[in-house]
Amino acid sequence: MATHAPTHAHTDHGHGPGHHAPARPLSYWWKRAFVAVVTGVLFALGLVWFCRWAFGFTPLWEPQAYFTAIFIFAGIGFLIGIGCFDWWWDYLRGHRVSYEDHSMHGATSWKDYCRPNTDHKVIGIQYLVVTFATFVIAGLFAEAVRIQLAQPGEQFVNAQTYNGLFSEHATLMIFGFVIPVFAGLANYVLPIMIGAKDMAFPRLNALSFWLLVVGAVLLVLAPAFGAFSSGWTAYPPLALQGTTGTTMFEIAVQFVGASSIATALNFMVTIVTMRAPGMTVWRMPLLVWANMTTSALVVFGTPFIAGSQFMSLYDRVLGTSFFNAANGGDVVMYQHVFWFYSHPAVYIMMLPGFGIASEVIATFSRKPIFGYRAIAFSTVAIAILGFGVWAHHMFVSGMASWIRIPMMMTTIVIAIPTGIKIFSWLGTMWGGKIHLKTPMLFAMGFIVAFTVGGLSGVFLGSVPVDINVHSTYFIVAHIHYVLFGGSVMTIFAGTYYWFPKMTGRMYNETLGKWHFWLTFVGLNLTFFPMHWLGTQGMPRRVSDYAPRFANVNFFISMASILMVLGTIVFFYNMITSWHSGPRAPWNPWRGRTMEWLVSSPPSLFNFDAVPQVVGGPYQYGIPGARHAIVFAGPELGGGELTETEKRLILVVADQAVASQVLIDDVRKRNAEGFWRFTFVVPSTTTDHRAAERRLQVALAVLAESGIDANGTVIDAPPMQAIDKVMREENVHEIILTTFPVGSSPWLDQDLVDRARKATRVAVTHVTIRPNDARGAVDSKSVQRVAIVANVDIDNAGLAALVQARSDTQPLTAVVLCPLSLDGPGWSDEAEEIRTEASGRTATLIARLQEAGIQSRGEVIDGTPADAVRLARTAHHANVVLIASRPGDPITETDEITAAARGMSVEYVTTDGQASTAPGAAEGR
Amino acid sequence: MTTENVTLPGHDLHGGGAPAPPHRISQGMLVMILFLGSEAMLFASFFTAYFMIRFNIAANDWPPIRNTATGARFVLPKGITAVNTVFLVSSSFTLWWGEHRFKKGDRKSLERGLLVTIFLGLTFLVIQLNEYAHLGFTPQNKAFGSVFYSLTGLHGFHVLVGLILLTICYVRTRRARDFTPTRATVLGAASLYWHFVDVVWVILFLLVYLL
Ligand code: HEM
Ligand SMILES: [Cu+2]
Repeated sequence: MATHAPTHAHTDHGHGPGHHAPARPLSYWWKRAFVAVVTGVLFALGLVWFCRWAFGFTPLWEPQAYFTAIFIFAGIGFLIGIGCFDWWWDYLRGHRVSYEDHSMHGATSWKDYCRPNTDHKVIGIQYLVVTFATFVIAGLFAEAVRIQLAQPGEQFVNAQTYNGLFSEHATLMIFGFVIPVFAGLANYVLPIMIGAKDMAFPRLNALSFWLLVVGAVLLVLAPAFGAFSSGWTAYPPLALQGTTGTTMFEIAVQFVGASSIATALNFMVTIVTMRAPGMTVWRMPLLVWANMTTSALVVFGTPFIAGSQFMSLYDRVLGTSFFNAANGGDVVMYQHVFWFYSHPAVYIMMLPGFGIASEVIATFSRKPIFGYRAIAFSTVAIAILGFGVWAHHMFVSGMASWIRIPMMMTTIVIAIPTGIKIFSWLGTMWGGKIHLKTPMLFAMGFIVAFTVGGLSGVFLGSVPVDINVHSTYFIVAHIHYVLFGGSVMTIFAGTYYWFPKMTGRMYNETLGKWHFWLTFVGLNLTFFPMHWLGTQGMPRRVSDYAPRFANVNFFISMASILMVLGTIVFFYNMITSWHSGPRAPWNPWRGRTMEWLVSSPPSLFNFDAVPQVVGGPYQYGIPGARHAIVFAGPELGGGELTETEKRLILVVADQAVASQVLIDDVRKRNAEGFWRFTFVVPSTTTDHRAAERRLQVALAVLAESGIDANGTVIDAPPMQAIDKVMREENVHEIILTTFPVGSSPWLDQDLVDRARKATRVAVTHVTIRPNDARGAVDSKSVQRVAIVANVDIDNAGLAALVQARSDTQPLTAVVLCPLSLDGPGWSDEAEEIRTEASGRTATLIARLQEAGIQSRGEVIDGTPADAVRLARTAHHANVVLIASRPGDPITETDEITAAARGMSVEYVTTDGQASTAPGAAEGR
Repeated sequence: MTTENVTLPGHDLHGGGAPAPPHRISQGMLVMILFLGSEAMLFASFFTAYFMIRFNIAANDWPPIRNTATGARFVLPKGITAVNTVFLVSSSFTLWWGEHRFKKGDRKSLERGLLVTIFLGLTFLVIQLNEYAHLGFTPQNKAFGSVFYSLTGLHGFHVLVGLILLTICYVRTRRARDFTPTRATVLGAASLYWHFVDVVWVILFLLVYLL
């Protein structure tokens, strides 16, 4: 989880301890929330009953009136119970409050994510988790839609249920995923990008998130109460016939809307008042521009959808006549009010994505962004024009027809600022040094798909075309190219781009690419044929269709599975990488904006001192150009805060130092390109040679893979050894390698925790099973020596010989003891010889291991020549040592030479002297 | 650049209680201004509904309600509402006066100003409710009734919220005493809200009652 970089440990930021309320367990908050929800429900029942009784309404029981109040008060009750209003409650009673109350700031365990938190980084992650969960649910609804549509005919669900399915799908995607997920991403990165320590109103920020939770839960639960089935647009009069599900939809939209307005206000104030010194508007990253503009759209647009849903709710629950033509109501009015928000809303769903695309494309093209001001201005232009095009959704609604032509013109004009952006991104990539990392792939995929969607949008903006294809699959193709190909692709780009920053870990690049290709191919195969379906006249929002569309629909349904697979890969990658991906450096992409100048994840308040902005954000490749300087806190003596060129990882290990597992781990970390390694083997025994030998093997292997590593054996217990290195070097992280609990004296002494406390740097604990540590490592630079020795060999002498050898050349050993027994193998005598032989082999192996030589071995049935063959084939030995007693030497035979097949064979006698070494017979 | 004793931008500002740097608008005021923009749009959506419904009907048929007894065309009670309007508008001035005195360091006057404002606001609400009771038509009567009640009701709700905000300010002036003449963002924001509610009423009165 988002623990904070240890070098930045937050030490009391100067706020007295008095402000900190005693920490309550998580269960306290949720119990309170539960009680408050129940209270809210009862209160709602009582209130409605009282009002209906007091005003003499009959019947007293009108379900929708009760449900409306229940959902509203249950939602508000939840917010109160979970603790969103605690601070304000104290405030309004006139109690003394602290404006700098950070008691709810930051997270140290997952539990801090499950209740209101005022840290924008925590809130960002809360948003992402919740919205991606809604994404999954909405995606399941989409697949249900596609299953139904795979063949003509109503095979699975009836029309009514089907309407519920696609309405749920679209509503969850739009209100539960695309809009809030952007708020989540921006919540995390935007304050850091402008050099602020948090949002302007952290408590409001927390409230926004929990409002979203209430709304999302209502939307997800709606199908259980009889789903609303009038589409996400909820047009009357159809929507007026809905039941409880529709009520939930209408109330959920209010909660979600309140949430996005609150967030937008927060963003705007944050951007206006909290930029670091030197950050003029023309030095703001484009994501900041995008979010500023989007926020303005939200603040001024969202009240219109609120208004439309209020009217709709009044009509259904209070019996008013807003949309009842018989009583002077006007259904077209709904569409005007609704689209006056919902067209700007499509830019609410797209502009933040444009911002992400600008960041990603500039960083991965290693070039200053092309047309910074053009992009910034076109963003604002889109927002302003966006308020003047709403009626292009209503060309055939029966509205006053003179509105058509002006709206057609404004709609087509919007293509200009949009085109400016596309060309600016292409211009940025042109001649750049493009790095095709996953975020960049998604950004490029976005450009392609969004262009297709934008073009079909221009088609639709023209009245005659729209009259033909309105309410056909052409619309479905369009919205998915812009929403999936546009918004969702940038969401993925942003998620991958900032994943290292948010989690402190790297995601898996290969899986990322798989995700991209599955999604991109799937998206085009799924949605492109829909254009054709639309022009051929297949209507949208139908559960059944003409048989002539069967093949194409079947194809589309199959293709949509690719996206499902891609999404599975995505979640697998995110979850496993978050849990155990390699550590991320501060700036894996060499970005320039400020979030990359702080640790991953950033410290509790992002910056320990005010950063200074000195230039534009995208001056890649311009010598000496910088965007900002981040300073270290006073504890570290001020000065510029940087991540040193290659930062040091201290690897502490005793017997496990040369194990394959540890070496693989180090290789993986090294692949990130930011680390060098120092190995330390603390040794308290008198004989350091063993430790030395193991270390040599490890270093030889690492050197072979070009890893910058050195090491020493330190004659001290582990804590002292660590301490010694920490004093001499600037260690950034420690990898502590031990045997598992039970077989590790280090763990018995609680070494991991002690190291953590004493050093205050991150400590990664790697456990290695003793057998893995003693087995051979696989490497060219470590010689594999096979020892073929008779039963009656002098162990001590042989071991000394191998040790001497290993001092000049790192090696691992395989001991093979050939036994060729004459006569029946089951006699007592044979049994005895066998036992004796395996005993001796085991002793030899133990001896070697003790001396720091990785070794294993076995007794085999056969001649020395068989042993040699086995050494070559099964153990891949480089050298065979054939050892025997001086009195009874094994000499070279043709069989052995043949078995060796060119592997070098040496003959030694146990007094430690090599006898003749004619071996090295170069075969073939 | 030294890093001693520096606070980050906005460091001591969240919650909106602390003083704004002299050159800048405080965060609390800024967020209130933007929020009022949002509120204005909410009213605008209902005004849109009002006018679209109204334009569907011939001008001389508006409001489309007749007195059941006499058959005469219904007329909204302009006189009493005009008086009510005066109450509400004057409450803006009493609030302004309290704030103005407070800037000069006169805390007692602020308390009095707040009390009088709250009293006037309550009076407005009571008269408005009384009007509802005697109008003779309900939200269910024609789209006109629906939009009339929802517009005035939405406004009434805002008056209520404004009253709550002013009460909070009163409580904090008396009990917490944490407003100071230079540092009273919450008070400033609440009074801005109150002025907004007034302005909306004046517009509503002009467009719905008089036009
Ligand atoms: C696995 C991916 C997806 C599939 C297979 C899919 C499928 C569909 C289908 C078949 C419909 C049309 C139902 C009908 O009219 O009969 C639809 C509607 C819709 N979808 Fe998707 N969808 C996917 C992803 C998304 C995403 C990511 C978004 C938004 C970001 C989205 C937003 C919408 C919207 C807004 C509608 C239109 C609702 C309406 O106005 O009727 N979809 N989807
Ligand atoms: Cu549109």
